[in-house]
Amino acid sequence: MSELSVPTSTAAQKRQVAPEPQEGTGGGLTISPSDIGERLWRIFTSMRTALILMLILAVLALIGTLVVQAPGGITADSQAYQAWLDSITPKYGGWTGPMDMLGLFSIFSSIWFKGITVLLTTSILACSVNRFKGLWKTAVHPRTKMTPVFYDRAPHSETIDASVATDAALADVTKTFRSHHYRTVVERDGEEIAVYADRFRWAPFGTLMAHISLVMILVGALVGGTWGFNNGDFAVPVGSTVEVGNGTGLAVKATAFNDSYYESGAPSDYAADLVLYKDGQQVAAQTVRVNQPLGYGDINFYQSFFGAATDISVRDASGAALFSQGVPLLYTAQNGTERVGQFLLPEQGLTVIVVSPASGEISEVIRAGQVQVEVYKTGDAAQPIATQVISQGQPVEMAGLTFTFDRERQFTGLIVAKDPGVPFVFGGAILLIVGLFLVFFFPSRRIWTRIVPGPAGSEVRVGATSRHDATFGPDFQKIVGEMKSSLVGTRGI
Amino acid sequence: MLKMSEYSYIAGMLSVALSIAFYVIAYASVRVASRRTAVAGGAATMDGGTTMQVVAGPSIFASYGTLVAWLAFIFLVASMTFRAIVTGHGPFSNMYEFSIAFATGVIGVYLFFERKYHQQILGLIVLPIALLMLLYAWTIPATADPLVPALQNNLLLSVHVAVAIVAYGTFAVSFAAAVLYLLQAYGVPRLPKAELLDEIGYRAVVIGFPFMTLVIVLGAVWANVAWGRYWGWDPKETASLVTWLIYGAYLHARVVRGWRGNRAAWLLVIGFGATLFTYFGNLFFGGLHSYSGLG
Ligand code: HEM
Repeated sequence: MSELSVPTSTAAQKRQVAPEPQEGTGGGLTISPSDIGERLWRIFTSMRTALILMLILAVLALIGTLVVQAPGGITADSQAYQAWLDSITPKYGGWTGPMDMLGLFSIFSSIWFKGITVLLTTSILACSVNRFKGLWKTAVHPRTKMTPVFYDRAPHSETIDASVATDAALADVTKTFRSHHYRTVVERDGEEIAVYADRFRWAPFGTLMAHISLVMILVGALVGGTWGFNNGDFAVPVGSTVEVGNGTGLAVKATAFNDSYYESGAPSDYAADLVLYKDGQQVAAQTVRVNQPLGYGDINFYQSFFGAATDISVRDASGAALFSQGVPLLYTAQNGTERVGQFLLPEQGLTVIVVSPASGEISEVIRAGQVQVEVYKTGDAAQPIATQVISQGQPVEMAGLTFTFDRERQFTGLIVAKDPGVPFVFGGAILLIVGLFLVFFFPSRRIWTRIVPGPAGSEVRVGATSRHDATFGPDFQKIVGEMKSSLVGTRGI
Repeated sequence: MLKMSEYSYIAGMLSVALSIAFYVIAYASVRVASRRTAVAGGAATMDGGTTMQVVAGPSIFASYGTLVAWLAFIFLVASMTFRAIVTGHGPFSNMYEFSIAFATGVIGVYLFFERKYHQQILGLIVLPIALLMLLYAWTIPATADPLVPALQNNLLLSVHVAVAIVAYGTFAVSFAAAVLYLLQAYGVPRLPKAELLDEIGYRAVVIGFPFMTLVIVLGAVWANVAWGRYWGWDPKETASLVTWLIYGAYLHARVVRGWRGNRAAWLLVIGFGATLFTYFGNLFFGGLHSYSGLG
């Protein structure tokens, strides 16, 4: 917002008088290389650019709601990603390939989305820098005196033939402004008195605050993405202890899990009793529910889902225990009729898959009290070395090892999250909202008055530009009306 | 109590319908009257931008319409209050509750603008939107289901929804203003002045945009409390971001040469489309919000 200047056309008069320094005019046709920097600056500080970038971002986000998005993390595993692409091919047909190439299935991490966000951020910063000086000047060193031409052309303008002398008129004018909570600055120049009045002069900084806070939120997102993690399928079978990893040195033990239901069958509560260990030492214990996470430092554990787990133990030929833990059946297979879990035997280089019928499903092969165990060479998922259905409590020999299905358990599914960006994001969000309310609900106002000796005593001219604040007009009329009645009214009635 | 809530809802729905009927009569009779006064040479009294209330005689129907709209608003607020007493939470556990809340918000915001600008013709667009919402609620079982665990964070959600209905209501009003603005090109008679419509559209967004921002932020706070992440690109979140961006673009469009006027009005129309998309989104896509059953 530059300092006020005089309108030059009636079209401009209609809406706003101040020219738009933010707007790239795209005027000249000749470009010299030294102009390029300035041109870029013009483009990035142009509100038209901002507008178009926002609309492009909206379109990209809209695509993100309409096109199926690949599950997080799957793109890292090309095999799994290909399988996922195959699964959606029936829906998108021949478009699947091109759409994938354009990144439409992971739009929010696509070059398009990131690129536009970076451009928009640059633009926001450029605009903020661009505007700061003007805002500061307007608030602190406003132009207090206007030329008569200003009053001729200002969209809000009124001339009052006052019946009192200039000093008395000044007193009246100031009083009226004061009663409307305006601040006044008086400047004398010979016979002429200029009165500048403003209200909420700091409020325009709300716009600046709102824009900067957007950058702050994006910085927070970047910080979180770089130094945080969010593990959404951290399953802990009841009775087992599972390492959190991510360099935290933490491990979680679930000692109990309860799910309760309303009579209708809808869930009413999920509660898991968790014990947290750091380097083997217990550091926290809490019942975790939905909306009641367990926090330790900046790491939080959220109750998210639950399901069945199987306790499996594995011994080698000498009888030494290699593995004895709950295996959460995290995945479903065969159209949801089977639940599948998996664990590794790293020293043997084996991957073991445990299959059980989904609850309510009856299987011909795997009967109640049984699970199917499949042993694979790690990294070779094509053919199992051994497959067998085993019954609870009966040790079975497979691939040179002894497998026992000890019992069924529940597991609690947790989200483990660490996000050092959160303070930035919510700090920014608060600033954003405060900024917006400031701009919109405390509109800053500026009115200029010029008092000179006149035929009846003095001539008082009042003028104001209006940005696009629609409520200003009536307020202006009210203030001027009051001035009129005190400046001329004395003899009128 | 649930019965009372339901009766109030029905009374509210009927009142909205009646209010629309009054407005239609008012609009039609103004047209007739204007022709008559024009014949009588009295057209000059109705300066260029005649609106229903400008004409003294027939606009009595317009005042009836507004009065009945107030009645509808009161009935609907009563209905929501009764229901909240029974369920112990705000109107966010299913689409029935939320649709009534949406309609109430739309009517409330309309009445706020009606008091300020006296443009009942806006009601001819806004109130049918509310009526459709209420009819939509009619198709949904009104049972008061207990809350699933993720929704048991009561205060946060109640505020989230209360703020959302204000935002949606303002967007409905700005939509109506924009539609009337655009209709100007088609020679529809008795429209308010273009500048006035532009102003109303802007005023509505000025209230709506901070509220919409608050909706998204409160949603992010809730997601952070429940799932450990404030943003997950779930389609509902994303749709609300799309809506927010469109209105953000609109706020800039109003001061960019070449975008004022018609294009800005189109942004308001598209913005309201995005609002409805956000609201009905669950019918198209799944996502975490689907287990709230909520819009
Ligand atoms: C997501 C991005 C953005 C959002 C949500 C946003 C939001 C807003 C809002 C709410 C206003 C207040 C509108 C008003 O006073 O009528 C505003 C004004 C403004 N914005 Fe942005 N903005 C964004 C990006 C930008 C960018 C990139 C630029 C720079 C090109 C920019 C430049 C401005 C300027 C100069 C104003 C002041 C307009 C005036 O004084 O009337 N904005 N913006």
